[in-house]
Amino acid sequence: MLASEAVPADAQMPFDINFIIRNLPLFGKGLVVTVELSLLAIIAAMIWGLVVAIGRMSQHRALRALAASYIEIVRDTPVLVQMYFIYFGFSMAGFGMTGFASGLLALSLQNGGYIAEIYRAGIESISIKQLEGGKALGMSRWDVMSIVILPQALVRVIPPLANQFIVIIKDTSLVSAIAVAELTQIGKLLMERSAASYEVILTLAVLYLMLTGIVSAMSRLAERQFAIYH
Amino acid sequence: MLPQALIHNFVYLLRGAEFTLLLSAGSIVLSSALGVVVAVLHVFGPLPVRILIEIYVFLVRGIPLLILLFAMYYMLPYIGIDLEPMSGGILVIGLYYGAFMSQVFRGAILSLPKSQWDAARGLGMRWLLMLQIVIFPQAFRIAAPPFVNTCMQLIKSTSLVSIIGLWELTMAGRETVERTLAPFQIFAGVALIYFCICFSLATYGRYLEKRMQYVH
Amino acid sequence: MSIDPLAEPATPLIEISGLTKRFGTNEVLHQISLTVTKGQTVAVIGPSGSGKTTMLRCINLLEEFDDGEIVFDGQPIGYRRDPGGRRRRLPERDIAASRSNIGIVFQSFNLFPHMTVLRNIMAAPVRVKGIDRATAERTARDLLDRVGLADKAGEYPIRLSGGQQQRVAIARALAMQPKLMLFDEVTSALDPELVGEVLAVIKQLAEDGMTMVLVTHEMQFARDVADMVVFMAEGRIVEQGPPKTLFANPQSDRLRTFLRRYHEAYLL
Repeated sequence: MLASEAVPADAQMPFDINFIIRNLPLFGKGLVVTVELSLLAIIAAMIWGLVVAIGRMSQHRALRALAASYIEIVRDTPVLVQMYFIYFGFSMAGFGMTGFASGLLALSLQNGGYIAEIYRAGIESISIKQLEGGKALGMSRWDVMSIVILPQALVRVIPPLANQFIVIIKDTSLVSAIAVAELTQIGKLLMERSAASYEVILTLAVLYLMLTGIVSAMSRLAERQFAIYH
Repeated sequence: MLPQALIHNFVYLLRGAEFTLLLSAGSIVLSSALGVVVAVLHVFGPLPVRILIEIYVFLVRGIPLLILLFAMYYMLPYIGIDLEPMSGGILVIGLYYGAFMSQVFRGAILSLPKSQWDAARGLGMRWLLMLQIVIFPQAFRIAAPPFVNTCMQLIKSTSLVSIIGLWELTMAGRETVERTLAPFQIFAGVALIYFCICFSLATYGRYLEKRMQYVH
Repeated sequence: MSIDPLAEPATPLIEISGLTKRFGTNEVLHQISLTVTKGQTVAVIGPSGSGKTTMLRCINLLEEFDDGEIVFDGQPIGYRRDPGGRRRRLPERDIAASRSNIGIVFQSFNLFPHMTVLRNIMAAPVRVKGIDRATAERTARDLLDRVGLADKAGEYPIRLSGGQQQRVAIARALAMQPKLMLFDEVTSALDPELVGEVLAVIKQLAEDGMTMVLVTHEMQFARDVADMVVFMAEGRIVEQGPPKTLFANPQSDRLRTFLRRYHEAYLL
């Protein structure tokens, strides 16, 4: 079951940087797919998360319950299982979704739930007094929301959102299990074909660190920008 | 219309769940032990140690768990290490989540007001005694809700080992789907089993959080 | 409480000389020198930022200091001068030992919330001084009785009022049988009606002969209970003396201004 049964026991292990260089185009292709999938999933999750959050905070009890149940289901099941459910389920039903689409859908649904909670926490963390203060000045609920509460909630929401984006980027590696040629899948193929597992793992690690590092840096920049307005 | 395929194979899935729980338990023990040690070192250790720990946390935050599982699967044989699949899984997941656990414990230790340290030191307590009777008891209580949450994430992560061929709930699900060709039913069943485990934990975590607000 | 003039010459319990502390470029304490004799009650007053709390916390090394010496009961605290004249930090063991003989009570009580009142008081004597549990418990209950809280032994701190928590804090400090008690603005965080019960306990302690240094805003209390009042401002001791003369006849402008403002605020 382990690779040790398939690989010759006397394989060598010097570090071969040429291997990496030779396969850069291949890594590049995988990276592009990973970035595409991540970006689309992030945008979709942010939008879907907003929808769910509105439902979660609505005045109607049934809507709130529905949204809450949705969030709970999506948070208490592994995203890999959700991907399998969509990918194998729909292909069997003749609806044939690609691995990319299944992965995108699963990532959006799951992270939409998490992001809805992030939005909710951000808004609820702004003291209820602000809402009352705005109303006392004669503002409508909607006005108070958009002018007083949302701008403040935005700052609080940036760090956990950035964190969730990083989770999304890392979870794109899972679509390698449903035959999507993203970064991890490329790496897996390379490792199966050659003995350069160390080089491949290193390259994958560095590339993912780059992606997540960019998100972290942008988040810190955004936080600083918003802090100026305070 | 009953989900026949799921009902016939449910016991098989439950056996897979057994392995999931075994894998999770082992990983939770390892990551918690590691987490406590790393947290204490992160708070009290000398600068070079703290820098190393920051690097450790940075790496875990930025690298997907799957990559590390692949590393174990593809790389270890070359070094001549031949691990049993379950032990290998526990090792990788345990080391990975050790970083998250350490952040949980560190956060809890640091959240204690400085005045508690003052009081303990003022009474002539030394470092080890302070930790034992003043800091840790309080920190563990504070850490309980995020700890339970992290355990939940860990359990969900065990599903990844199915990708490198380890047999547990998700793998059992895939096998069953190949046999029965009823993906919706079977994976829904798999999701249901995960849900039962994780929902209980999530509820317990929320209960712990409520209790904390009452005490502090 | 006044010292009997016919008694033996007062033995110094604390000798502070040249105490200096810096926060970056800011000098928070400048060449402080102070001697406290056995049985003496010293009140330290002054405006906020004068460094009085910092000085108090240096005595049991809860704050580090950059220069000067503190000698407690003949032993240096925190640092000593080696034969070559260099400043060397004492081992943690010695520092902890000194601390176990000095009791400190804080403004925010700082009781251990996860322990009962009784355990709060007993924990240190048992674990630090190695006193057996039976004796420690007897002492603890005795102290609780002295501060008027005998019936609260099994309660958790969160169920007590501020004044009660502070009295437990005093009992906790006393349980270590300290030679010196330090009080850091112990009534400032209390509701006015709870202040009296705490001051009563402290007054009794003073009458029983405990050596005490109190940082306080309670001028009335300082006047009634202290043997000596020390006035600090901007990190220096500006004036010191018996309360009667200090309050009635302030020598420095700084003290005069301080007292006048205080009179205006509290109609002393």
